[in-house]
Amino acid sequence: MSAAYFYITVAVLLVALLTYIAAHRGGKPLALDKARAIIDSLDIQAFRNLVNPEEEEFLRASLAPDQFRRIRRERARAAFAYTRTLSQIALEFSRFGHAMRHSTDPRLVELGRQVVSSAVLLRLRALEASGRLLVTVAFPDLPQRYPHPLFEQYARSAGLLLRYRAFDYAQEQAS
Amino acid sequence: MDWYRFLFYYLWIAPHVLLAVVGVLLLKRNLYKSFPLFALYVWYEIAEFVLLFTIATTGWYVRAYLVTLAISTALRFGVIQEIFNNIFSERGPVDALARVSIRWTTAFLLSVAILFAILAPGQTSTSLIAGAAWIGRGIAIIQCGLVLFLLLFSGLVGIRLQNYVFGIALGFGILASVELANWAMHTGDLSKPMAKALNLLPTGAYHVAVLVWLGYLIAPAREMLRSIDAPARELDQWNGELERFLP
Repeated sequence: MSAAYFYITVAVLLVALLTYIAAHRGGKPLALDKARAIIDSLDIQAFRNLVNPEEEEFLRASLAPDQFRRIRRERARAAFAYTRTLSQIALEFSRFGHAMRHSTDPRLVELGRQVVSSAVLLRLRALEASGRLLVTVAFPDLPQRYPHPLFEQYARSAGLLLRYRAFDYAQEQAS
Repeated sequence: MDWYRFLFYYLWIAPHVLLAVVGVLLLKRNLYKSFPLFALYVWYEIAEFVLLFTIATTGWYVRAYLVTLAISTALRFGVIQEIFNNIFSERGPVDALARVSIRWTTAFLLSVAILFAILAPGQTSTSLIAGAAWIGRGIAIIQCGLVLFLLLFSGLVGIRLQNYVFGIALGFGILASVELANWAMHTGDLSKPMAKALNLLPTGAYHVAVLVWLGYLIAPAREMLRSIDAPARELDQWNGELERFLP
């Protein structure tokens, strides 16, 4: 029966996990305030500097190897905090897009679809960049790639939300 | 009628009555167009119940049970694929990543099921049911893993599942998890009281799964639009923040 007990334990854990997922499934209301506060706290220029390969090269040339590795780890950890924030922002963008998709206006529904798609990509890019930064923390001597696609995707998502505002403004003017 | 017989018949009949309500709801809300295999599965399960209930006391029961179970299992795989297609249907690169990921996940789960079957067979009986249980356990591992993958991957990339899509997946996840335990117990020789008690496990889980499907189909989709209409003025400030980051 030992094998049976093993499978029963796995089954109980799986049911518990599914229950947890169901219970924690995005019951929170859409938090524009929170999204704005997160965006506000993000110093994108500082983030760009932290992952700039030219700065990395300058530090590598100017510092002793041990010191460079320590500094590089610290910079990667700091940049990781930024990618986590971007990841959170992507989730809020996605929820905002989903909310738009419930609109009765087909143009808003289409814009919502684009916002969701863009937010999902932003989330993926942020997760990818987070993974790379964790590798840098573990192996500071490995070369690092500038997360250009992440910044591009962020600009695209932000641009779509600005389109929403423009659309909203046009509707206000028309009415 | 003693309590066991009552519970046994209740758990056998009630889920199928509720399943008929699920079937009607799928038709009424036109959801059968988005989920044709799930609708087919629902009506198939009802037909299967009618057949098995009718021949329950005949010698054909076990064979009919195993054949209908095989068809039901195949349909469940189809429904999981249908849920996947429904979730990942419009986001180019993310869909491509999801398709590759689910292929690898399926291959991994298949390997796990085969490895577990070899390393932890737990089989002490050579009966037909014990043999079916040995296969059923592996299938339950794969189905449960696939449902978990769907829920976790969509959550990870920030895709919000519609209520009923989530409900269908959750119901199948619960069903597959309990079947894993149930089949694991059936691979050995069971005492009569134990076999009697275990008879209630899959039907009980089935009841829970049907209630989950029904609950998520009945529950109205949350009205989120109000929450974006109300703070429209606040968006001015928000836009100010966003503009800082645009090139």
